[in-house]
Amino acid sequence: MKVLCLAVLVLALSGCTAVQPWERDVLARPDMSLDANPLDAAIDDHIYFSKEASSGGRGFGGGGCGCN
Amino acid sequence: MSEQDNLNATLAAATCALLGTALAGPVHAAEAPAWSFDSSLLYYGESDDRVQDISGAIAAKRDFGDARSLNLTLTADTLTGASASGATALDRPQTFTSPSAKKTYTTPAGDIPLDDTFLDTRFALDASWTQPIASLYTFSAGAGFSTEHDYTHIGANLGLSRDFNKRNTTVSAGVAWSQDDVNPEGGAPVPLSQMLDVGNNSNKRGTDSKNVIDFLLGLTQVINRTTVLRLNYSYSDASGYLTDPYKILSVVDPVTGDTIARTPPTGLTGPDGVYRYESRPDSRVKQSLYAEVKHAFGAPVLHVALRYMTDDWGIDSQTAEARLRWPIGAASFIEPQLRYYTQSEADFYRSSLINGQAVPQFASADFRLGKFDALTAGLKFGHRTSGGSEWSARLEYYQQSGEVPGNQIIGNQSRREQYPDLDAVIVRFNYSFGL
Repeated sequence: MKVLCLAVLVLALSGCTAVQPWERDVLARPDMSLDANPLDAAIDDHIYFSKEASSGGRGFGGGGCGCN
Repeated sequence: MSEQDNLNATLAAATCALLGTALAGPVHAAEAPAWSFDSSLLYYGESDDRVQDISGAIAAKRDFGDARSLNLTLTADTLTGASASGATALDRPQTFTSPSAKKTYTTPAGDIPLDDTFLDTRFALDASWTQPIASLYTFSAGAGFSTEHDYTHIGANLGLSRDFNKRNTTVSAGVAWSQDDVNPEGGAPVPLSQMLDVGNNSNKRGTDSKNVIDFLLGLTQVINRTTVLRLNYSYSDASGYLTDPYKILSVVDPVTGDTIARTPPTGLTGPDGVYRYESRPDSRVKQSLYAEVKHAFGAPVLHVALRYMTDDWGIDSQTAEARLRWPIGAASFIEPQLRYYTQSEADFYRSSLINGQAVPQFASADFRLGKFDALTAGLKFGHRTSGGSEWSARLEYYQQSGEVPGNQIIGNQSRREQYPDLDAVIVRFNYSFGL
């Protein structure tokens, strides 16, 4: 598993080219933010935390609820 | 307009042109709204009168400039309906003592037993502060509190991130701690003790608690002008009372698989079968790897996320999720989404306990610790108003389908439903605005 992750990481990073600040027109769009909808994401995490045995990953493991 | 103002306007317009933004005039920090709000109203409803949840949340962000911001989130949840207790279905009706030990409830013949005394209201408040602490470093700190009639949570978290490579790479680390107090209806049952008659709380203890500590390591990488990737590793260590105080297991005959019958003593009411409260280990370590990518195909944006989780209870899970945000005109979009989740069962998952055999140290028939797959399909529609606020509506369908391991199905159990499918509809409405 560790080898696989390392391979994915190396592959991903080897394909990168440094994007200059003036080339960030697309990346600067709100819909390109990885945290575009934090409240929506928090609600999703809460629903799945209460119905499944897994939680977190994107952020901390969630919790703070007697539902699981 | 003075010559200096003209120069400022020209420079700002040139900067905007370089950045590809559409601002027509000079940019003043004061023009950005100091407060921005994101609100949500959610309905979650399971079929067959099971759990229904209505939830409202509002998040407020105060921007203090220089990348310093305060975030506050208030959430209120109201849960009603019935939840599977863990007992197996039988060909006869089954009577149980409620968690409070004040009354009984009865499940019809052939049905998976549901505890219909399920009712709760939860309030949660979270606050966090983010600010740069040096060139390329960003610090964040947060605290949270939530309360239900039988559960209280307090938590805190710290995070630090550093940008590298012309801010194309961000490495982050975080730690979170929480302390949860459990005060179950009627008291926390002694693990694996037998369900008793109404009014008898001798197998119940008072309150209990658990602590969770989480560590998170993250890497965010700009791949090219239209693609960004995030990788996270997280480690979570929970210790203390991890048992669900309301879940039970049926004690069944080793040949027929039927629950052992019981008659309450004369003058008392209580369960008409033998049931034991579940027992889980008092520690759990979870580890997960998470990867997500966002890629813009011109205006449409594809978001794909994958997660692998493993824990020392024997549960492994994989999650894959994809969303495609597709603009409609200049101000609206639709976003179809699909999510698939699969998990293996915990080592101590058992659909029932066998009469005459030694009671194991740990056992749970909670379906959420069983083997199942889940699928979510949804569609979101969003619209940005001319005033700059945005609303969206999202409809989702969630389905779980699981199975009890074949070697745990005994006798008559094979002709009865053992693991009911769960179907839920989720509707939410979001509205975001600034002041």
